Amino acid sequence: MLNTFQQADHPILPKATADEASREEFAKSFKGFIQSTLLPGLSPIYETRVSKAFEKANGRPPENRRDIRSVMIHDLYFQHYAMANRTAQELLWESVNVSIDRQLPDLIEKAKELSATNKGELVIPEGFEPPRYVTALDIHCMPGGYCSEVTEDDVSVGALYDRGVYLYSMGYTGPNNDDMGRSVVNYLKRNMPDFKPKRILDMGCTVGHSTLPYKELFPEAEVWGIDVGGPCIRYAHARAAGMGLDVNFAQMNAEETTFGDEEFDLVVSHILLHETSGKAMPRVFNEAFRVLKPGGLMIHADLPPFDLMDPFTQFILDNETWYNNEPFWGAMRDMDQIGLAEKAGFDRDSVRFDTAPMAVMEFAAAASGYSQESSEHVAERDFTAGEFAPGGGWEVLIAKKGEKQAIAA
Amino acid sequence: MDNTTQERPHVIRHAKGKRPEFYETPGVDAAMSMIMVLASELSVVRDRLDSAERVAKANGLDLAAGIEALELDQEALDEREARRQDFMQRLFYLQLKDADEAAQAQTSEGFEATIHEIAQP
Repeated sequence: MLNTFQQADHPILPKATADEASREEFAKSFKGFIQSTLLPGLSPIYETRVSKAFEKANGRPPENRRDIRSVMIHDLYFQHYAMANRTAQELLWESVNVSIDRQLPDLIEKAKELSATNKGELVIPEGFEPPRYVTALDIHCMPGGYCSEVTEDDVSVGALYDRGVYLYSMGYTGPNNDDMGRSVVNYLKRNMPDFKPKRILDMGCTVGHSTLPYKELFPEAEVWGIDVGGPCIRYAHARAAGMGLDVNFAQMNAEETTFGDEEFDLVVSHILLHETSGKAMPRVFNEAFRVLKPGGLMIHADLPPFDLMDPFTQFILDNETWYNNEPFWGAMRDMDQIGLAEKAGFDRDSVRFDTAPMAVMEFAAAASGYSQESSEHVAERDFTAGEFAPGGGWEVLIAKKGEKQAIAA
Repeated sequence: MDNTTQERPHVIRHAKGKRPEFYETPGVDAAMSMIMVLASELSVVRDRLDSAERVAKANGLDLAAGIEALELDQEALDEREARRQDFMQRLFYLQLKDADEAAQAQTSEGFEATIHEIAQP
């Protein structure tokens, strides 16, 4: 199935020249090729020559992802696969970065103009210090990370993330990169039709991809997106305005927000947890519990835990840790998320994992390159480690704060 | 003035974090990256040619059909074959250089001996 998905334009999205657009498309095509055509070769390589080599050297078969990795990294097919993944990632960011650099002064001015029309607040506190787990490495090899500012009122890494993530996900999350948020809202509307949150907090929102569907589908709600990246927050505020949605954005750390106790009916995050740390993740759960009203819901859409996967699948997924500057990717999957929620104060009975089916099919025929057939193809795949996004739906951790529960001391 | 040389703030081009090496032979990682960058540019040029054909067609000139129907005369055949041979000579520059050195009995030892000899006062 050919992937011709195209990102929907919006006022603050960087505009590419014809050659820049071709470079970006090449990076996206290369990623697609790696996942559809190179990735499947890893299984036979492992099952035949690589696992045998391990057994010969160690007198036992490989038992876990570390064993598998110790031999796979010496196999030439794996080396080409891993090189291709890394190089595709570098081509992707570079193709967008060159385009953004060309138009940077205009982008910054445009962001200011748009922001001025957003009725939601834009909060950028003086002297905000982002946590080390976000600044020590540039996560997923995005130059500058989420927080770097090269000039005053900078939005460059926000713009880079918006366009780059579309290419990274090859359009699987829809023309506005918002499938995760949209899927969670759909899940809520279908499973809890009476739940009508008045205040919604999206933690680690970057440029608000997943934040905006909450405002679109709960238009009466007051929606807040928070993130540690200042340029991301500025870009998010301008992007929301450009898309006609009044949403509040603030530079804030999800471990310790400045919101009061029990202010929100719904606290969500999307692909945030795996970019935090072993120390921060429990604090994010605690903070979500604190700011939730009694009866409110916490929902984290992120990576499913390793414990239900075979070692080879774990090994494939863990490549992101080693080759894509995702230091917490593997370790996060070993965390007991239900246990963390319980420690934060949620009743164990109120915490569960579920699947929110992908909303990508809703875009079919309405957006460029999204045919019914190709959208269904994305939404109805089987889960394959190493492909972007699980087919079928997003893994979500859901916890409900008890009606009369006091805040954990 | 080229955009990247303008004196104003520019985006950050390199991601913080040591890049892993995938191959055991030094230099292969860099070579593979260069090959993929070139592949990307080749794809860009192919896209641009496709755009040229589509724009021309939209303006009444069916370049693509004309290209398919084009009959190469002797002059065109000669020019193309010469260009291809010339291209391959450049592509295999180092291999041909190696053969030339062998033919002229040029060696590393001889090269170093020459440097030493010329430096003599």
